[in-house]
Amino acid sequence: MSDREDEENKLHTGHAQKAQQPSELGVNVAIGKQLKAYYDDVASEPVPDRFLSLLDALDKAESSSKSKTRE
Amino acid sequence: MSAQFDFRKELITIIPNLRAFATSLTGSFDRADDLVQETLVKAWDKQHTFQPGTNMKAWLFTILRNEFYTQMRKKGREVQDVDGIHAMQLAGHPEQQGHLDLQDFRKALELLPDDQREALILIGASGFSYEEAAEICKCAVGTIKSRVSRARTRIAEILGVEGDGDYGPDSISSQIIGVAPAA
Repeated sequence: MSDREDEENKLHTGHAQKAQQPSELGVNVAIGKQLKAYYDDVASEPVPDRFLSLLDALDKAESSSKSKTRE
Repeated sequence: MSAQFDFRKELITIIPNLRAFATSLTGSFDRADDLVQETLVKAWDKQHTFQPGTNMKAWLFTILRNEFYTQMRKKGREVQDVDGIHAMQLAGHPEQQGHLDLQDFRKALELLPDDQREALILIGASGFSYEEAAEICKCAVGTIKSRVSRARTRIAEILGVEGDGDYGPDSISSQIIGVAPAA
């Protein structure tokens, strides 16, 4: 049995046992999955070039200011 | 020299997480990336204060969060709504099953108070412990726990998870696995 089916069964069971008040665990699992999907939508994107260029620029600025101080 | 190289490398691996956290705070991709940029500049400037071996992700999240609230105090939230709508439009992946559900979830998340939303994200998505989240938000562990709990309850209410059968757990689980409800 896959995890997804397992999750679904848990939710079904929760619903059947407490029809008025769905299982809190089931609801939290559902919210947790949506939350991860929402977050990973952005977190799975590759790092934009602008940030890599920024770090390069910061690196250069720092080494040039260091060499100036030494001079 | 090699220590500096590692700092940069570590920084880059955490950027995707910073962007996701920033998006959840600002509700806008554009503002999120500006916030991440500010965070990277700040982090670079104070990299000597970072202790290697400690949690760099938590350190960066703290800087980002401080920067966000500083900006909020300066600017207020007047641009938030326009940007939020923009973000929602950009965020659509129409070819992806269940995208409407994610849109609903996004809207529900935006309705949460800032402190509850950030607690929920830190615990439920960023993978921090309650202790780490408490340190990032500068509050007690118990406060984080109650914020997360209230955030979950509120989202369930907004999405109508508690209540009539149309939005019951069957419907929620079917949204997640992308098939029609059995009933």
